[in-house]
Amino acid sequence: MLAGPFCTRLLADFGAEVIKVQCRKTATGAEDNLTPQFNAWNRNKRGVTLDLSFPEARELARRLVVISDVVVENFSPRVMENWGLAYPALRRIKPEIIMVSISAMGRTGPWRDYVAYAPTIHALAGLTHLTSFGPEEPLGPGFPLADVAGGLFAALGTLAALQQREADGKGRHLDLSVYESVCSLLGPSLLHAAADQAPLPPAGNRPTVAPAAPHGVYRCRERDRWCAIAVRTNEQWRAFCQTLGQPAWCGQRKFATLAARMKHSAELDGLVEKWTRRRSPQRVAALLQEAGIPAGVVQDAADLANDPQLKAHGFWDEVSHPALGKMVCDRQPMRFVGEAPGPLKAAPLLGEANEYVFKKLLGLSSSQYSRYRRMGVIA
Amino acid sequence: MKTLSLDALKILDLADESASYCSRLLADMGATVTKLEHPSGDPSRKFGPFYRSARGEEKSLFFQHHHQGKRGITLNLRRKQGRDIFRRLVQSQQVVIETFPPGYLDKIGLGFKALSQINPQLIMVSVTGFGQGGECGGHKSCDLVAAATGGQVYVSGSPKTPPLQPFGGQAYYIASLYAAIAVLLAVRKAAQENKGAQVDISLQEAAATTLDHVLTRYFSRKTVSTRQGNRHWSDVFGVVPAQDGHLLLSPFIAWPTVVEWLAADGGQKDLGGAAWDRPEYRAALAGHVYQVMAAWSENHPKNELFQTAQLMRLPWAPVFAPGEVAQSPQLKARGFLNAGGPDKRSRGLKTPGLAAPSGKSRAAKAPELGQDNLAVYHKELGLSLKEMARLKKMKVI
Repeated sequence: MLAGPFCTRLLADFGAEVIKVQCRKTATGAEDNLTPQFNAWNRNKRGVTLDLSFPEARELARRLVVISDVVVENFSPRVMENWGLAYPALRRIKPEIIMVSISAMGRTGPWRDYVAYAPTIHALAGLTHLTSFGPEEPLGPGFPLADVAGGLFAALGTLAALQQREADGKGRHLDLSVYESVCSLLGPSLLHAAADQAPLPPAGNRPTVAPAAPHGVYRCRERDRWCAIAVRTNEQWRAFCQTLGQPAWCGQRKFATLAARMKHSAELDGLVEKWTRRRSPQRVAALLQEAGIPAGVVQDAADLANDPQLKAHGFWDEVSHPALGKMVCDRQPMRFVGEAPGPLKAAPLLGEANEYVFKKLLGLSSSQYSRYRRMGVIA
Repeated sequence: MKTLSLDALKILDLADESASYCSRLLADMGATVTKLEHPSGDPSRKFGPFYRSARGEEKSLFFQHHHQGKRGITLNLRRKQGRDIFRRLVQSQQVVIETFPPGYLDKIGLGFKALSQINPQLIMVSVTGFGQGGECGGHKSCDLVAAATGGQVYVSGSPKTPPLQPFGGQAYYIASLYAAIAVLLAVRKAAQENKGAQVDISLQEAAATTLDHVLTRYFSRKTVSTRQGNRHWSDVFGVVPAQDGHLLLSPFIAWPTVVEWLAADGGQKDLGGAAWDRPEYRAALAGHVYQVMAAWSENHPKNELFQTAQLMRLPWAPVFAPGEVAQSPQLKARGFLNAGGPDKRSRGLKTPGLAAPSGKSRAAKAPELGQDNLAVYHKELGLSLKEMARLKKMKVI
């Protein structure tokens, strides 16, 4: 689960000193420091290595806790207990510590030991079923919403706990379930089901928040190029018809009101597509935006990288990674007006900050540090 | 300046449905949130899905989910008296959340600069389709357009279908989470620097931050990710039919365990054998592997496969519809679906990781229209009842 790294990345981006504790033995796959993905998820963090199977390493970890404000972890409760790093133990050495435990299902409940990645969570939360054209073929989103949702709830909870601690001096243990995070983002559907209302079908590209018609994704001239359009008011509908040059079908009674258009949306979509098919998606979006109608190109990765609005608004930045070279990164969407966004520094190499953290921050002597390195405590 | 306790935070919510969830989250952590509505009511009171009572009343569950825990007042900002009252309210509030088109609040004299004159510590979080500036600053958006321009739609759906939006306004939720985080960052900053700030959030950007591999694969190898249906981009996960629905599984995580399980059931077909030990071989034949899995899984109930898989620490799950999610023993055990309501109509979801510092849980209730007009206008602002009646007649409140 990548919710943990996403949470601490956000805090690092806004100035927190984040020390990522890795173990050489497990620094593979998503935890391999030399991959573009690791760089994306762990920029701005410092990296150290500890082999927590050693009691000396666990003692160093406890000493790190003493100098820290927050501990973020996503191990199983049993593992943290075995290491002497569960919340009751940490609270004894630092009463005001804030511990953020992120897990797929939460620390309690019959499924607490279950293993999950983002697709698992999407399926269990109803997102896969609902994000489909019909129940017979569940599709789901093509991106890991669960990891971001979990990371954002964790970051929010962490900041709230920090704020509250400044007012009342108390530490806290947050129990963050990624499953509950995604369920929260499907709140209305879940409340609906919990109140025994008739099941909501998968919506395809029909409206799922505010009523609208036409509403959907329409094929444009080039292969696999589409424009998203949402006509939400009768005023926008009139402007829409005007933009299309007032074709005869626009004036039909069955399209005269929003309710009527929604009732006949399949037919309406076919007619709209006859118009969009002859144009590029950029042209369709530009014409409709000019008329005050929500519309936008269905953008792929290349479109995003070259999007002039993202560039102008400062979404992209670049980091220099010692092994990967120059890597483009996305910035945090929260922009403090009138201030330059914080700098982005590449993700750490494995154990890059070992000397800084263990010698400078914790005060290990050179000989003690070298001994721990030889033993494999500091891996 | 001392940092405010969360339950001393006062928030004015002017947001439409694109960021109304933000201040719900702030209410969950103990802040006093006051939602402003035009006297005719917020349009999202009419958004489905609906709870329909036996008596025929209809309540928007969207509105319930987005506004529980908030106070509600009516105020017409199009009227000068309404704007004057707003300026008075701002004096005692720390935060304003808004989603107006860029420049609109400035035009009516309620922009950040103007309000900062009244309250120099004020924090304003502004959420719009494309951000405050740039060529597209004034462009119209909605959840579909944000998801499309933000890259989520292109990579969702199957190769045989059009691209597909995520269900339920996900760009709005993600932006709302960023906005709530921005409030806490800004409050902290305001205490340190003794002045307020405006935070500018774009729905398009919020959507684009959820893309993970779509961006890293492009920027590292210029690969343009395309939609793969329910197959993970790496083929590691996919959906197969079960006897009574569908199952999300991974054939490739713990491959030997999976093959052994299939073999015990007589369903492994040609998947045993040394050639399959090589990950590249498995990857190249992913399509075939999923066919073999489907031929096996369609004979089993999805929950049986789910429980057995999880016992073996395989990250598999049934594809649940919302009705099944609501029955989840896990959510029930954790009191997620409770929270606070005496009946089905006033249920709320317990927000993960947040608890009001005082320990008091807010009523899981969204405000009725103008519910707190008396409390805010009469008790807090000191308007007389006669004055309030007059303003009501003039459609100012």
